[in-house]
Amino acid sequence: MRAAWLIVASAACRGLIIALAAASCLTRQGGQLTRQTLSPLAADRLAYARELEQTARRMRLAEAEQWLRLGHWHATLSGYLESQADGDNFFMSPNGKTNPELELEATIEGFFSELAPYDPKEKAVQHPICQFPARFAWLSDQLKIDPSRLPAHDCARYEQFKSLVRPESVALVFSSYYLNNPASAFGHTFLRFHKAQYDVPVKQRELLDFGVEFSADPDTHFAPVYAIKGMIGAFPGTFRRLPYYYKVREYNDYESRDLWEYDIKLTPKQLDMLVAHVWELGSTFFDYFYLSENCSYHILGAIEAADLDVDLTSHLGWPVIPADAVKALYANPGFVTGLHYRPSSRTRFNWEVRGMTSAQEAAIERLIIDPKTSLAELAPRQQIEAIDAAQDLVDLRYAKELVGDKGTGPGAKLKQALLERRAEILVPSIDHPPPVPLDREPQLGHGSRRIGLGGGGDLKSQHFLALDLRLALHDLADPPNGYPELSELEFLPTRLRYDATFQHVALDQLDLVHVISLTPQNAFDRHLSWEFRLGSERIDDAGCNCYVFHGQFGGGITFATAEQRAAIFFLTNAHVWSGMHLDGLFHAPIRLGIGPEGGVRLRIAPNFIALVIGEWDWLPAQTGFAAWNATATLRWAVAHWLALDATAQYDERTGTGVVSTYLYF
Amino acid sequence: MKKLVITAATLATMVLGAGSLAEAGPYGTAGCGLGSIVFGNSPGIVQIFAATTNGTFATQTFGITSGTSNCVDGGGGGPTAAAFIQTNRQALSKEISRGNGETIANLSTLSGCTDPNAVGASLQKNFKVIFPDATVSDTQVSSSMISVLRTDKTLGCAKLI
Repeated sequence: MRAAWLIVASAACRGLIIALAAASCLTRQGGQLTRQTLSPLAADRLAYARELEQTARRMRLAEAEQWLRLGHWHATLSGYLESQADGDNFFMSPNGKTNPELELEATIEGFFSELAPYDPKEKAVQHPICQFPARFAWLSDQLKIDPSRLPAHDCARYEQFKSLVRPESVALVFSSYYLNNPASAFGHTFLRFHKAQYDVPVKQRELLDFGVEFSADPDTHFAPVYAIKGMIGAFPGTFRRLPYYYKVREYNDYESRDLWEYDIKLTPKQLDMLVAHVWELGSTFFDYFYLSENCSYHILGAIEAADLDVDLTSHLGWPVIPADAVKALYANPGFVTGLHYRPSSRTRFNWEVRGMTSAQEAAIERLIIDPKTSLAELAPRQQIEAIDAAQDLVDLRYAKELVGDKGTGPGAKLKQALLERRAEILVPSIDHPPPVPLDREPQLGHGSRRIGLGGGGDLKSQHFLALDLRLALHDLADPPNGYPELSELEFLPTRLRYDATFQHVALDQLDLVHVISLTPQNAFDRHLSWEFRLGSERIDDAGCNCYVFHGQFGGGITFATAEQRAAIFFLTNAHVWSGMHLDGLFHAPIRLGIGPEGGVRLRIAPNFIALVIGEWDWLPAQTGFAAWNATATLRWAVAHWLALDATAQYDERTGTGVVSTYLYF
Repeated sequence: MKKLVITAATLATMVLGAGSLAEAGPYGTAGCGLGSIVFGNSPGIVQIFAATTNGTFATQTFGITSGTSNCVDGGGGGPTAAAFIQTNRQALSKEISRGNGETIANLSTLSGCTDPNAVGASLQKNFKVIFPDATVSDTQVSSSMISVLRTDKTLGCAKLI
């Protein structure tokens, strides 16, 4: 029976992979190719092009770092060069993807070709000089190309793009983590081109800048297929230009994520190169791999192509987490020239109400129930502050409704009433921006991967070595700088144990994902805290001593004080375990549990954390009435890459103590 | 499993360069505010998994497609006041009720007005004209706001012709 299932499952799997492959091929059919829309070269131009090709060969330009970066050629595992660009129209030679030299020669010949007549609706076709302005700028410079010998070309579209973007500088923007919106779990990175517009103060024109991002174009929203296709690079990723105000509204307001803008040092010539290269990248796509060649990777690749003095992608490990892109900037000393913080609507609101009197707080609570409530007890300026804060609170609570509705919902009506009330007071508000949270700067965060080695023993006097591996990213006791204070997000945490007495290695735990999001309760924020875990672990109790699959989901509340340095939380969890040898529900190999979990987290010193968590689960109709465990951890971050940890754990069978060293990289 | 469904997502988002520079579609009534992004329902557990494996989940999920509405800035041009107002409607409504703010200042720059504080004060006085109730469409908001700015000659909003 089991064998039959396996065959069915593996056939289904294969079917899925074939379906995915077929679907991904479909996305690859582009429009007309530029290289197939060129007329044969006139004799004199051909001769000049050949002459330039010879010079290029003599100068070995096809091996030059600049050329390789512009074409995104990288050595593959087999040692041959291959471009990461996957759109066919990025190459002037049919073999360009794997041959930088042929591509260089075809590019030179392309510059001297004329476009054959083509369907004007075919937007993919441009004259090669217009389609590859960065290649053209560099080759012109190297080969001293005589512009008078070039064919006529009209680059109106590129020129328009250039005049729109027209940067005086550029920044890498990191949009930070906010776990209550799972979509933003790991953050995001994109470029912001600061538009040159010298006659107006920066604050009055920032929103008019352009952002450029690299993102996938998924053809499915069905989560399992989405996840698999994302892993295997089956979505095409493209570069896009968006107004910066759109990004601000999307991230700062709608998703409530802080934005960190890192100014980077590029000379005017390098800036031109970046604009030109980003345009080039618009004519292709890259297979999008969530874990490696993702939004952060290719944005850094574009910067590298414009500035040969920096190495960025080589500082990225696997997997690539958006915050790693920020750290890669800092790996090049002097490259980051400034850091700006744009607080989210949530951060702004929390700051706003911090300095308020209790009478004002009470007024806000009344206002969001009855926008016309009397505020006679407050001074005029306090009234303004209370109404403003009430508006901000409505924006936070009804974010989805306000942007997704036609203005008929309760949030829209409430907001309208508060707006009307505020508009009658013809006194401008005073902006009190929150201070920059210096210890939250993303570049300060510990490395995203972790390895830990420890030694310990249990109450049965058995000694063991513990090996801890984790691909990403952060747990509640890890060094807190650069991360949200009360969030945990782990991807593939793995715990192995080598038992010295019996001399064998055992897998204790391997989770796919483990997320804890603790949101402290306050007068205005009633968000629930929650935890989710999917993976596997070893059970050693009345049910079995065996290795089982494990899923867990729970919700509850958190209270915190002293800038979240002290927090206490209570969750109710539901669990499911399943394993072949497990004696569970009515003796079936499945176990269900439900029960409370509680914890205390103290940030005793900036780099020293104490965490105590206890859990009890009722196991109805199963062998063993209940299961429980308690864990206490002390962790001291000696440096941002090193922490020392002492953990004691106690459950119904035994107690263990482990002392470990964690390295973050 | 629940999933995010994007029924419509429009904006002046353009795939750069060759290929797919967005074309302005027919003028719709929906405008191009953030309101054009609509959630089908809330994320489920598998969605959380997908999110944790993926740095730019948000952007993809929001599926900002090439523009299909009137907010595409003249087929690849710069931001227009109308597109700016429509996308920033929620922020602007709040700032206008308060008489000042960053979004007003940027709109003022975009429109070539001389003094953002004067723009803020003028818009605040006309709040009920621009936002008579919550159900006015984004396009109505932008046209009445632009007409306020044009009418008040003291503001000198030279780029609004």
